[in-house]
Amino acid sequence: MNCARLQQVLDAHIDGELDRATASEITAHLAECAACATLRDQRLALRQALRTEAPYFKAPATLAPAIRRSLEHASARPAASVNPPEINWRAGPTWFHAAVFATVAALVGLISGHWLAQPLPDYPLRDPAVASHVAALAPTRQLIQVASSDRHTVKPWFQGKIDFAPPVKDLGHEGFVLMGGRLDQVADKPAAAVVYQVRKHVINLFVWRATDRAPDAIATSSMRGFSVTTWAADGMRFAAVSDVDARDLSRFAQLVSAP
Amino acid sequence: MADISKLSRFEAVVLVHLDAAYNLARWLTRDASGADDAVQEACLRAFRFFDSLQGPSPKAWFMAVVRSASLDWLKDQRTRGADDSYDEALHTASASESTESLVARDSEARWVHAGIAALPREYREVLVLRELEELSYKEISAIVDVPIGTVISRLSRGRDLLQQRLLESRERKRS
Repeated sequence: MNCARLQQVLDAHIDGELDRATASEITAHLAECAACATLRDQRLALRQALRTEAPYFKAPATLAPAIRRSLEHASARPAASVNPPEINWRAGPTWFHAAVFATVAALVGLISGHWLAQPLPDYPLRDPAVASHVAALAPTRQLIQVASSDRHTVKPWFQGKIDFAPPVKDLGHEGFVLMGGRLDQVADKPAAAVVYQVRKHVINLFVWRATDRAPDAIATSSMRGFSVTTWAADGMRFAAVSDVDARDLSRFAQLVSAP
Repeated sequence: MADISKLSRFEAVVLVHLDAAYNLARWLTRDASGADDAVQEACLRAFRFFDSLQGPSPKAWFMAVVRSASLDWLKDQRTRGADDSYDEALHTASASESTESLVARDSEARWVHAGIAALPREYREVLVLRELEELSYKEISAIVDVPIGTVISRLSRGRDLLQQRLLESRERKRS
């Protein structure tokens, strides 16, 4: 075994993919050749860095239920038991697309009708939440008073400054990186602002004391180009404001509000 | 009903690999909602072809479906034109920004993330499958649909590229 040959198969060796005879030739060469041993050490260090530092993106909790629903829907199609139509997703729309579209449209109508029928006590709070978000991003303002990506640093910082404990989560693995926190106000009420970043977008999560303990479901809307998601839980009101996609912000809200 | 048992078999054989599927889709699309869409689409396709499952392992089979759904998603983005290049720019910008200006404690993790994300796709996918999923060369070859020799050379080249960037970034830090 010479150096050139070794370098060709070094990766396969480290990956444990070579037969025993070749592997022992390599081990013998590495014991004698310092240059090749250095190459091996660099590779091992790289592997270590990759395995410990590279983010592993786990499926968001909402994905599996969504998939189950669509599979149940797919397998419950009456036509499936007879002669399942081949659906070529890349081709033009088919009757199946039309049916899916109609179902989705009906659902959206139903859900938005439901929302519209609900009293929306917090809608007026959208304005002040957006106003606080915009004000916080002004160049003269300090967006972050406690800068840390460690929730165990950010959460205790609020202690003694406000009379509730806002949830602070580490969501870096989901792409929402904790940046820090600050004290702020929403509609003249003292609020904790927890700051996250997703890609290049800042998310301000405002938390303040609710007037009652009734929980409120997550609702997302948009206003002047900002997405706003509000909900209430555990005697606290939440408003997340950002210029990201409404969908991203809903996902963020679900992650924050998950127990 | 036959469909219910198919669903529960599908659950046990395929859906147990949902995290792996999402991870691959996320690294391929470099986009959270893209990964979501690709995995959902992959599950529908996999369910339809579940009875013709083949290959070295159910996981490899499912990952191949996820890969092709992810590539379709990317193609779709590209045909929408401006969208794709904008997204691309957004990701590179945030990657380079995060390596330099954000929290220093995480700089190594950020560097690794940005380094893999910036690799050309053919190197990125084999590295993710090998280093994060710890799949065998045989499985990777089935998923990516290339001969094992190509898997070996892509892994080597991908690691060369990453190692070079790792050394460069450490030097920059020192100077």
